[in-house]
Amino acid sequence: MALRRTRRRIIYVMGKRTRSTIVVLVMVLAPLLVSTALGQVQTRLRIIEASNVGSSIDPALRDVHDQLGSLFNFTSYKLLRDESLALAPNRPSEINAHKEISLEITLTKQQKNKAEYQIRILRERSEILDTKVRLSPGRTVLIGGPKHGQGSIILAISARF
Amino acid sequence: MKDSCSSISRLLEKHFDRETTVDEGILVQDHLRQCTPCQAQLKSMEELRTTLRTPVDETVQKETFAWVWQKIEREIQDRAKPSWQESIRAWFGLSFPFRRRVWIPAVAVALLIIAITSPLLFKETPSHTELSIVEYVESHTNNVMVFESEKENVAVIWLFEGPEGESST
Repeated sequence: MALRRTRRRIIYVMGKRTRSTIVVLVMVLAPLLVSTALGQVQTRLRIIEASNVGSSIDPALRDVHDQLGSLFNFTSYKLLRDESLALAPNRPSEINAHKEISLEITLTKQQKNKAEYQIRILRERSEILDTKVRLSPGRTVLIGGPKHGQGSIILAISARF
Repeated sequence: MKDSCSSISRLLEKHFDRETTVDEGILVQDHLRQCTPCQAQLKSMEELRTTLRTPVDETVQKETFAWVWQKIEREIQDRAKPSWQESIRAWFGLSFPFRRRVWIPAVAVALLIIAITSPLLFKETPSHTELSIVEYVESHTNNVMVFESEKENVAVIWLFEGPEGESST
């Protein structure tokens, strides 16, 4: 009885806002902690449509806007998909980027602050690009070129450690 | 023998052994010129020395001292060989307190140098291939361009899918 009373009191003292913050934190951190324990690497994949039609920049791409602007001559960038993948070593993961374009991403090596990936870009199931990249915190690889409408598809891949 | 002879006789022995000072030597020489008994005494001293010296010199000349050298060599060989620590100690010729005074700061300085230089020596300098993001890239169907920007910390792999694609980058 005494224990139940104490628990009730703690919950009451914490308040609704604190409780919801803790719940959100647990929900955000849990997948990261679980994936780390399983030797997985959280990999962010963003599929961007770049074109010279209009001059709109997707607000979701604000963090990479400067990078994109300094590297490419496109005027418009639209985020098509934002995926967070928990990749386990040597387990290929296939993602359909857009219509006939898909990519197969495999975590080949994982070290302390380094992750190596093999990325295969496929068009109608046949390989058009095969690459191996090494990502560390703060590094991004942009794979672009496949045609999409009046523009091109750019894949932005980064790893979270 | 004159009265002065008694005072000179003490100096005469010193003079015979060549132990007199310059003034004493002059005094003895002057006295000997005038005093026959003292001259005779000096002569008898010389004769006595010759009598004693001659057989000793003859014996020494005959002796080769080979047995003495053999004995010395045997002694050297019989002496136990010193340990390497003793050899080093003997080589440096330092006494214990002096050794401590020299070696403690020397070892401390050596350790300090090792502590300072070892992080620099064993620091892993990433190679160019380790720094680059793209390890390899291959396409059998299209032309590919790789651009790595160290400033932006980003690498671009661009796949050219047509002639118009090349002008877009």
